[in-house]
Amino acid sequence: MKMNLSNFIENFAEAIEDLDENTINPNTQYRKLEQWDSLAVLSVLSMIDLEYGIRLKAEVLRTTATIEDLFALVHSKNSNNP
Amino acid sequence: MPNCSFKNSQIRGLVTCVPSEEKRIEDELDLFDGNLKQVTRLKKTIGLDRRRVVGDGETTADLCESAALRLFSQTDLNKESVEALIFVTQTPDYSQPCNAAVLHGRLGLKKSVAAFDVNLGCSGYVYGLWLAYMMIESGSCRNVLLLAGDTISRVVHPKDRTVAPLFGDGGSATWITRSSEESVSWFDLGTDGVGYDKLIIPAGGFRAPSSSKSKTEITDQEGNVRTAESLHMDGAEIFNFSISEEPSAVRELLDFAKIDQEEIDYFVFHQANRYILKNIAKRLEIPDSKVPMQTVERFGNQSSASIPSAICGELRTILKSKKKTKVFISGFGVGLSWGSAILEISNLGICEIIERDRFN
Repeated sequence: MKMNLSNFIENFAEAIEDLDENTINPNTQYRKLEQWDSLAVLSVLSMIDLEYGIRLKAEVLRTTATIEDLFALVHSKNSNNP
Repeated sequence: MPNCSFKNSQIRGLVTCVPSEEKRIEDELDLFDGNLKQVTRLKKTIGLDRRRVVGDGETTADLCESAALRLFSQTDLNKESVEALIFVTQTPDYSQPCNAAVLHGRLGLKKSVAAFDVNLGCSGYVYGLWLAYMMIESGSCRNVLLLAGDTISRVVHPKDRTVAPLFGDGGSATWITRSSEESVSWFDLGTDGVGYDKLIIPAGGFRAPSSSKSKTEITDQEGNVRTAESLHMDGAEIFNFSISEEPSAVRELLDFAKIDQEEIDYFVFHQANRYILKNIAKRLEIPDSKVPMQTVERFGNQSSASIPSAICGELRTILKSKKKTKVFISGFGVGLSWGSAILEISNLGICEIIERDRFN
């Protein structure tokens, strides 16, 4: 499993319908994206579960602001539970 | 839970009946505050498109009656040969008596028939088949008529985006009989009652009887309207349940049956929506071509009728042929409850979707 930021951004963009990878970067505040709705939440949770083996609660996505923050969170959980 | 296998029962025919009235998500822009972009995205991602809904005075019993009559007219099953009638539904005509008794009378079945309802939704078709197979294998009867259907459109609040655009109505009739040659099948069933309130109609039963309060409309933070007597769904929890329990239930039953995933010709999952179906298929690494998922876009999530509907809609040609087709079916939902089965199906006398003519 590749655990790097650019890979995460790629997965993030792929998970959300109609989101172009080139329009987001580590500093993107994902909750402010036009495409961010309840379905996007499920899609990102599912992607994190599938790609990184971590099951997050929907509320957790409200605790981080940027894509990089979210990546850091996933990364920390990932190294806690190898 | 009960892993079991049977050798002497098989499905001989099935019919699914849908109401004639169709709704399209494009026509419901108001529900999404006129946000066409969002509707387009939902259509693309979840596969929300068309759905069928019953008209006033039309019920699950009516849909299942039409399906049963069609089954009688196209196969050797008839009202004299039915020995047991199982009705799976959560939207019966009356709280008493059960739908099975009502239909027993309407279909003119003989008095020696055992008839009863099963109160299950999306997992219900598998439970109904399991009961039918057990009844046949025990020697208690030869021919079982399984009716499974729901009209969930009648229990969702029309202004609740979390459920209203998802559900369609349907009723099915399946003939299960003692097979003349060996036909092996496997079943696995499960329940997680701790999650009973994740998909629930909170009021209108005996715990919280219907009252003026339970009929009061409440608007939530997202602007969705519902009453305590409408269907409530915790979408995130149900989604998590579907994508975690479902793949492991599939793997467990394949293990028990000692069958490789590749040996299964088709996986017919409860047609929740295309998004969930694709997600489950991806997790199990099953090619999309083996997973029927077009039916839900035509008819909506049909609850207990969704599995027979997908079979009739997408597999009818192959299942009517002589080739023995291995079909994995699996339903999951309200309860929380789930059930899976591996069946060998061939030579079906009938396998089709019909439309009910309300005015006939």
